[in-house]
Amino acid sequence: MAVPVSQMLTVTKYVLMQRLKGVARYPLVLMLEPLFRCNLACAGCGKIQYPDHVLDKRLTPEQCWAAAEECGAPIVSIPGGEPLIHPEIAKIVEGLVAQQRYVYLCTNAILLERKLDEYKPSKFLTFSIHMDGLRDEHDLAVCRDGVYDVAVKAIKAALKRGHRVTTNTTLFDDANPERVRKFFDEMMALGVEGMMISPGYSYQKAPDQQHFLKRARTRELFTRILSKPKAGWQFNQSPLFLDFLMGRREYHCTPWGNPTYNVFGWQKPCYLLQEGYAKTFRELMETTAWDEYGSTKNEKCADCMVHCGYEASAVQDTFGTVSGFSRTVKLTLLPTSR
Amino acid sequence: MTDTKNHSDGDRSGSLEGRRFLPASPSELVEAIELAFDYRGDVTIELTSGERLEGYVFNRNTGGPAPAVELFPTVDPGVRHILYSDIRSIAFTGEDTATGRSWEAWVAKKDSERRAEIERIAADAKARGHL
Repeated sequence: MAVPVSQMLTVTKYVLMQRLKGVARYPLVLMLEPLFRCNLACAGCGKIQYPDHVLDKRLTPEQCWAAAEECGAPIVSIPGGEPLIHPEIAKIVEGLVAQQRYVYLCTNAILLERKLDEYKPSKFLTFSIHMDGLRDEHDLAVCRDGVYDVAVKAIKAALKRGHRVTTNTTLFDDANPERVRKFFDEMMALGVEGMMISPGYSYQKAPDQQHFLKRARTRELFTRILSKPKAGWQFNQSPLFLDFLMGRREYHCTPWGNPTYNVFGWQKPCYLLQEGYAKTFRELMETTAWDEYGSTKNEKCADCMVHCGYEASAVQDTFGTVSGFSRTVKLTLLPTSR
Repeated sequence: MTDTKNHSDGDRSGSLEGRRFLPASPSELVEAIELAFDYRGDVTIELTSGERLEGYVFNRNTGGPAPAVELFPTVDPGVRHILYSDIRSIAFTGEDTATGRSWEAWVAKKDSERRAEIERIAADAKARGHL
């Protein structure tokens, strides 16, 4: 089982409490971006395209802890930028763990081995290592040779110390399904707890028909990757989200499920679009025109099937429908039955 | 991490870098502010008082009785709130950090250009202690 039982129970309890309280829109995962500066410069990465004085800005530990309290999500994902560049990231993580939140520290792992001493193994902390495929694909994606090998070495070192380690992989339409399946084998052989995969986000103005074809291509790609899964593969995400990627379930985006907080504030409406910023989480929830977003409603959302919009939809399906719940139970207990 | 790929055509000639807008009407002002908000570089805002502010426009609040822009100044750690009504002109003075940096533009570069860029980025990260 990829996700520890305690984490499953925490999320289950949280979701049921929200439903009992009648809360229609609640966050599941806080996307906390403590800085945008990175030690890689992946071509086309929208997260690092800012002037230097903006890249030098950082959230303080207190701002990070307050954001987590304010939002209340049981899971905090820390992307960036590269979080390990932040001089106080270990303190930030320690504070979030003290709040008993499940923290996924997303890193390219270049600095991980050097900084491992700063972290105590905990069920609340997972190093989520950015791996975009096997050596050739990964190094090409991050625009630097040797990064894959550094990351693999860091994964082994983190596992040796008893840390939870997962991988996170972004796949674009040019991915080779056979190579991706081989990559899954390699990662599981390293001993990671589980893998997270998502299609990447790209936006191009296009007629509706082209968007339809693009989504069809994404579904075809993930069907070829995920069909007949091997017994050893573990995914650290909702099995229904993987069904969605394969075109087996249809979801509407749940942008408030993964709210984003960074040096600009609370990002409207989601991790991928920047339509403005709110000062507080409450303001984000109350002033964002949620109904204007989603694949059928907004040109910018038309091609999007990214985890930050649809993973929460899958979780809602699990707890909101009999078919969703039974399918989740089945795929959790029998992952190869897909 | 790369979870987005900027798919602009990589053509720098489409950038606003170097242009200046002197809005002649409220609707032109709103349009210029939207362009500044979407711009991935610093701008210089000239106020009706004559003051000039250089920085990154990261937000704008269009609602309410006093629409305002929020800017991170280049030389000061705080945030400046600037009323729309106080803005005389907006110049796109800072480097556009997005245009021409798409995945396609990267792939289209010569191998020697890519290698030079990789080395420059790595040297910069090393100098900051990030490698």
